[in-house]
Amino acid sequence: MKRAFRYLARWEVLLLVFLIGMFVYGRSVSPYFLTSSNISIAVAGFMPVAIVALAMTLIIVTGEIDISVGSITGLCVAFMAVCLEHGVPIGAAMPLGVIVGALAGLVNGLLVGYGGLPSLVVTIGTLALYRGVAQGILKERGISHFPEWYQSIGFGTVPGTPVPWSSIIFVVLLLGFSTFLHATRGGRVLYAIGNNREAARFSGIDVRRALLGVFVTSGVMCSVAAVVLTAYLASARSDAAAGLELPVITAVVLGGVDIFGGSGTMGGVVIALFVLAFVQNSLGLAGVTPEEQQIATGAVLILTLVVFGAVRLMRAEAAALRRAWRRRTRGLIVGGVTREKLRGG
Amino acid sequence: MAGAGGTAKRSRHPSGIVGRILRVRELGLVLVLLLIAGIVTARTPRFLDGPNLEQVALSATLVCIVALGEAFVIIARQIDLSVGAIVAVSAFLTAAWLEHRHDERIVVVFLIGCGVGTALGIGNALLVAVARIPAIVATLGTLAIYRGAAIVIAGGRQISATVLPESYQAVAQAHVAGAPLLVWLAILLTVFFGWGARSTRFGRNLYALGSSPLSARFAGINEARHIALVFILSGLLCGLVGVLWGARFGTVDAVIARDLHLQAISAVVVGGVSIFGGSGSVYGAALGAVIFAVLQNGVQLLGVDQFWLEAVIGLAILGTVVFYSLLTRRAERAERESRRQASRARAGTRSAVDR
Repeated sequence: MKRAFRYLARWEVLLLVFLIGMFVYGRSVSPYFLTSSNISIAVAGFMPVAIVALAMTLIIVTGEIDISVGSITGLCVAFMAVCLEHGVPIGAAMPLGVIVGALAGLVNGLLVGYGGLPSLVVTIGTLALYRGVAQGILKERGISHFPEWYQSIGFGTVPGTPVPWSSIIFVVLLLGFSTFLHATRGGRVLYAIGNNREAARFSGIDVRRALLGVFVTSGVMCSVAAVVLTAYLASARSDAAAGLELPVITAVVLGGVDIFGGSGTMGGVVIALFVLAFVQNSLGLAGVTPEEQQIATGAVLILTLVVFGAVRLMRAEAAALRRAWRRRTRGLIVGGVTREKLRGG
Repeated sequence: MAGAGGTAKRSRHPSGIVGRILRVRELGLVLVLLLIAGIVTARTPRFLDGPNLEQVALSATLVCIVALGEAFVIIARQIDLSVGAIVAVSAFLTAAWLEHRHDERIVVVFLIGCGVGTALGIGNALLVAVARIPAIVATLGTLAIYRGAAIVIAGGRQISATVLPESYQAVAQAHVAGAPLLVWLAILLTVFFGWGARSTRFGRNLYALGSSPLSARFAGINEARHIALVFILSGLLCGLVGVLWGARFGTVDAVIARDLHLQAISAVVVGGVSIFGGSGSVYGAALGAVIFAVLQNGVQLLGVDQFWLEAVIGLAILGTVVFYSLLTRRAERAERESRRQASRARAGTRSAVDR
């Protein structure tokens, strides 16, 4: 446990060092990189991913996965757009969008938690389903007449500071999520499920309800991301947030959350989110196209997993070596010399 | 006692050739296919026209070939999300190669496409089998990398039929015995891969790995090598489909086959291959591809909004997953029940002996 903590701390420190390196690189690429307006834009543009990543962390900690986040976000965007078309004021469309997101998450959660189906197939299915519904209700139309105050959620900054409004939303959510995951019984339950589902069930944890909970949370976060995204883009189309799952899962995995569940921290995920945001931003400033940035994101995901896999392998090897050493020294204890004596000389 | 059990079993499943046909797992799929085709024909008889059927068959062909590889991958309890991206890279490189070499022999093109697909498949294989990254995230990453590579290579360019040699497009237009050559190719590959999964040691090992990796390892099956091979195989088939894609559609750009992984996985899942691995057949996956092609065509013919198509696919995936899990659960319950009865019977005999 102590070693695990030390290891994780190291990983987060490594990420921080990388983030600082990122700033140095970014500065050498462009003199605009370290300006407050550029940082503000980079942060604001990444907020939809960051908000969804909070809930994805909970899901991956339980050992499940949600591939459908991009489609849920797209569905909420399309739904809010249709609401606007029918004359519903944006203030009422937003809570309706949140309800749609919660319902979409509920379907995932019921099928995974209570249906006992693998989250991978379920969310591949709902990935197609939700995107299809989004296309079905919005077709090829695009909505772009949003009120000024609404657009400021995505673009605007707190008056007098370069802090985007959307990042305030994120920070509030982050505080809630990290408190839940690291300081409440509910958070420990998720780790228990991710470590050993059977053991969790036998110790009286309602696994099905917990899984339902994380998937509904994911749906709600997707709807919040949908609000921020439409405000940022100032337009709503049915293909919004397509492929969102890639940067989200990359950020969570890069943040040190075990893809098999059971370990990882919110702090790591937050640093990883900033790393990804500034990698994309500096690549963009260096004139790299979005497609090449996509390659970079994929490469980051795979490299992280390779590194984690190698570390896990080395730790297993080290543990095996230690066991072998203990076995060999045990013979000496029988001979009347304890290990402590042996070490003490 | 054993004889009695045997008769009871036989009475539930009629013996002989009829019984054997009834017990074929794919029969239900054929019935579903006929049902959908029947409904579509009843509404629009145009469905049965020769040219329309040929279009359906051709669009089923490409998905079917990809689904064969995906079925192997899923039977071995893995998943490959990068298939569409591999097809795009292979198709674009093929077309770019042909653009300035009209006199090249067509076989060379197939070698190039399959080589590209195999190389990208090896990339997946290394990540999953050697670096031991879970297939779902590994191929999500390679999906992004391969698709990005295709877009970068293409640079927004589109290679259209006018600059491609006619011999290339002739591949898709050729007919053998009244049906397009591609359809025969797909049937041939389906039979070959179906045989490979059902009747070769490699295929049986995949089922063993899929149903229990641990016991498969204890039985001496080299897990890493088999998993590597299924990903390479899947890449190879995607490379082949990339070549055929250009021949069939004429125009190639970097964003083709965007949803192919969804189509292939849904064909495999609907075809009865368990997503947990270890059960289902390659023939079922091929039938799944045909069902989706008919469904897609039917949706078009019936004038249903094209925009809803993806939702229909999603519903079909969810529906089949739920259906098969209910079936499995019922079978498990029946087995538990019969085991309980057997143990009760045994307890009864024992107490009789005691007395």
